[in-house]
Amino acid sequence: MTSYGMVIDLNRCTGCRSCMTACKVENNTTQGNFWMYTFRFEEGEFPNTRVWFMPRPCMHCQNAACVKVCPVGARYKREDGLTATDWDRCIGCRYCEVACPYGVNCFNWKDPNKNHYLDWNDPELLAETGGGLPYANPDLKEEYGDENRRIAGGGHHKGVIEKCTFCVHRVEDGLQPACADVCPTRVIHFGDFDDKNSEVSKLLKNNPNFRLLEEMGTEPNVHYIGGQPPTSKTRQIEEVKARV
Amino acid sequence: MRVSRKDFLKLSATSAGVLTVGSLLSGGMKTLVPFEKGKVKLGEKFVPTTCWIGKQDCGLIARVVNGRLVSFQGHPDHPRNKGALCPKGVAQIQSIYDPNRVKTPLKRTNKKGIPGTWEQISWDEALNTVADRVKDVLERDPRLFVWQKGRSKAKDFYDDAFVKSTGATKLHHGAFCSDAGYRALEYTIGMHGVLHPDMRHTKYLLSWGWNITNAGGNKFCWLTWPQQLVEAKERGMKVAAIDPRLRGPAHFADDWLAIKPGTDLALALAICNLLIEKDSIDHEYLRKYTNSPFLIGDDGMFLRADPEEGEEEGKPLVLDQATGLLVPFDTEGMTPVLDGKTSVSGGAKTAFRLFKESLSGSSAEWAGDICGIHASQIEQVVNDLAANAMIGSTIQIDGKMLPYRPVAIMAYHMSQQELGFQALRAMLFVSMLLGSVGAVGGQFSDFTWKEYKNWSKFADISVKEGPYNIYLSGSKFFPINSNNSSLVAKVINNPEQYEVDYIPEVFLLHHVNPLGSFPDREENIKAYEKIKFVAAIDPWLSLTADLFADIVLPAATIEKYEGPMSATDQYVDATAMRIPPIEPLFQSRGEIDIYLDLCERIGVLYGEGGYLDIVNNELKLRDTDFALPLNVKPTPREIFDKYSKLNGLEGIEFFETEGVQLKGPVSSSKYYPYAMETPFGGILPHRLYGESLLVAQHRMMEMGADEIYYRDYTAFPTWRDLTVESSPPEYDLLLMSTHMIEFKQSRTPIPMMIEMVPNQVVEMNPKDAKAKRIADGDEVIVESIHAITGETRQVKSIAAYRENIRPGVICMPHHFGEYVKHPWVKGTGPSPNSLYFTGEGYVTNTADQTYLVKVKVTKAIGGK
Repeated sequence: MTSYGMVIDLNRCTGCRSCMTACKVENNTTQGNFWMYTFRFEEGEFPNTRVWFMPRPCMHCQNAACVKVCPVGARYKREDGLTATDWDRCIGCRYCEVACPYGVNCFNWKDPNKNHYLDWNDPELLAETGGGLPYANPDLKEEYGDENRRIAGGGHHKGVIEKCTFCVHRVEDGLQPACADVCPTRVIHFGDFDDKNSEVSKLLKNNPNFRLLEEMGTEPNVHYIGGQPPTSKTRQIEEVKARV
Repeated sequence: MRVSRKDFLKLSATSAGVLTVGSLLSGGMKTLVPFEKGKVKLGEKFVPTTCWIGKQDCGLIARVVNGRLVSFQGHPDHPRNKGALCPKGVAQIQSIYDPNRVKTPLKRTNKKGIPGTWEQISWDEALNTVADRVKDVLERDPRLFVWQKGRSKAKDFYDDAFVKSTGATKLHHGAFCSDAGYRALEYTIGMHGVLHPDMRHTKYLLSWGWNITNAGGNKFCWLTWPQQLVEAKERGMKVAAIDPRLRGPAHFADDWLAIKPGTDLALALAICNLLIEKDSIDHEYLRKYTNSPFLIGDDGMFLRADPEEGEEEGKPLVLDQATGLLVPFDTEGMTPVLDGKTSVSGGAKTAFRLFKESLSGSSAEWAGDICGIHASQIEQVVNDLAANAMIGSTIQIDGKMLPYRPVAIMAYHMSQQELGFQALRAMLFVSMLLGSVGAVGGQFSDFTWKEYKNWSKFADISVKEGPYNIYLSGSKFFPINSNNSSLVAKVINNPEQYEVDYIPEVFLLHHVNPLGSFPDREENIKAYEKIKFVAAIDPWLSLTADLFADIVLPAATIEKYEGPMSATDQYVDATAMRIPPIEPLFQSRGEIDIYLDLCERIGVLYGEGGYLDIVNNELKLRDTDFALPLNVKPTPREIFDKYSKLNGLEGIEFFETEGVQLKGPVSSSKYYPYAMETPFGGILPHRLYGESLLVAQHRMMEMGADEIYYRDYTAFPTWRDLTVESSPPEYDLLLMSTHMIEFKQSRTPIPMMIEMVPNQVVEMNPKDAKAKRIADGDEVIVESIHAITGETRQVKSIAAYRENIRPGVICMPHHFGEYVKHPWVKGTGPSPNSLYFTGEGYVTNTADQTYLVKVKVTKAIGGK
């Protein structure tokens, strides 16, 4: 069996948000939708202050609350541990968004074509590109898995939920998710926890680790090493409040 | 299942069996063909190239599908980024296709000084217009033509060739970056750089104003240093952060000294004093490789032997420890006294003794008071330095025993402060006292140990009588001179005061936006109003171009040939190129194309001393089989093809398929100056004592310069009160500014980055804010004051509570409001540059800009 997941090393994170950006480009997500989010945190009072950073993708929980509440089976667990969203099937009820304790679901409130940062149909640009999002990733419209369902990428339809796919289109091609691939300081490690020799299994075995909101029983497949979870005294700084 | 990036690229390059030649670009460019796997799309290809967005030129692999750029990933073999990218590097994909780029050459149709209205014109008309204006001034007086640069994102051979072939006056951005530090290092040890560690071996690092998480540090824009830092931390390196704000060093700091901005000189002097008191100093280095043992007479000058035949002055004298005699410093086999005095010349003392005496009041308590930190924190730093320096120890590297002093300082942009030149000298003295300069694990400032031209120039600092050129080179005002273009603006506005007898007429702006990027926006606006003709080369319409350009020439971004770029990470040597993954968008063109055409029309392209001849020289093609003919206009690809062949490659095809030429590890004899045949490459003795600074001071005084100009030309760094501190007391806060990783160095409005940092904020300690009844998120008015003239300036911004900033200091990030017409830039808020001043009191003695001003902050009436 395969159980994909991540080990995120907080010791190494500089909070640069490359992972957030690479995710947006790779998955063509629209304005305001961040599947990966890197918190910049501050704790304590001057001069006993601490500043640290924490990337937060979808946890791809083994016991995923979002899957249980989906009335149409659009949100489902794959055999390899990925929590997937079939955007052909999603009806936009947003139950998953309510059920998820991590806030990783993003709803397409606007027509994605009108919510992609710039006017990509500018006439002079049209002459160069033929129209549409110039950096559209062609892989995102393909079908994935034995189920042959369209589960990759974002910004496909207004009124549809989307979230981190662990870059299923890359993973099936033998590549790492875009966030892990881009990270300047190798914070994000992706791999198979069922393989005892995988890098993620070894990192987990050799380091004290935690998962977010462990007490919820969601059994996240994303583990953190090199730090402690945020507490009620942890303050977010430089918060990204999207212009939607 | 893991496929490393390296394998991925190999797969993509080789699994097709052979590389096929694409013909998407003129010149028959070869590109990588996509890897032949199940899901590959028809028309997909991968092009190795070099990032355009930052300063450190990371390696990229561009994914192109049906002629469109789809994404960038880091080039796995590039030593600088090793497959990774910063957020701007990834997000630049948006800006390449930005419909708000300047798409065609533009001609202004309204008057200058107000937002422009523009007519699209042909390249022919645009180039002819610019060339005619340039030709006209060159015929009358070449001094009237100024070429102003922000950044060329590659080796600067093509812009240097333009400047040299036209005789333009060149202005650059160094005086707004870290040039005060460069001047200090050039003066003291002859190296062109500021301060960085030998990250492989350093055990204790003073991160002195280094914004680890957002900004580069010496020589690199960003990514390489954090990569090396996390490795060093995991190896056990300790980091003490000296910074008014913890956001930069963040959790990488083991200790935090929340120093008051601008007081670094006092701290460095105290550290020097305590190291000497503890005798934690490297006597051998100081005696052998510095001028510390030189004897100084009561006039402040070296005691010198009688000149030998043909010499202008005799060699400086030292006291021979064995004989007690005065002998030339380079007497073979002699050991000089480091800390001593003689009875000659009114009791001449060694430079070291004088330094020690000059530090007598510089206790930890004294510095603690000035710097706003506890004396015990300073003592802790001194103890850690002394313990980790392991003075006297050696380590074997490549079979050679070398001094091992694993302590160092990282410092860069912080050198732009009023006493920056002398502060950086004093900070370097810390490393010199410990003997860590050039030692394994010790203090470095460049990647190879080679002499910079200012080393010998600064032995005798030229101070001339006027009239001066527009940046006051060699003047009695700023004899060491970092070419500050805001000061140029001041000169243009007051030429007589600075003994300048002309005002330039034509400016060519090369990727530069002085009104947005350089402090003292008002001074710059006034100056540009006086310039008769301004042309700008830029992919976006900058604030400066919008208000003052007559002609705008659209530059391509990544879609052009540019290079060669050094790709070294300081340990592995490599060269890379920028290869166009797609054709230039709209009507934009690469800068080399633009300069070739412009030079042809000005009449300086061909023949000896022309643009092509200088390009040959700059790329070392001259007098080789690969020299460019001086009578034929080449394409940029042809230029780089010749360069590649000169360097033993089959041609530019190498870079078009591989992207980066790896040359292997930097040899220890190049990296470590102690491993060189002559230690330090013979750039000796290091100048602890700045005799020539004192000589310059005397010259300035003789010429009647005011004290404000000569007061910091002292032989040793000397603390004095900062100009800003004489501001009226109601201006009770110090404003400093910082970079954010989302914007730093990009000179590009990238929507995805602006989305993450949508507006300017004023970071304040909650203690300060609450005392002024300012809540987190309140709209506030920040008003700055010029301590000498009393002039005030105001901006509106939003207060943000931060416990990571010391009370008494507020902080505003840069890079807001630089490209005013861009839809994503509108409403993002002011630049701190609107609050800073330039000129006397706000520049260093080397004409370097400072980023410190006293302000008051009040809640905006009607704010939330």
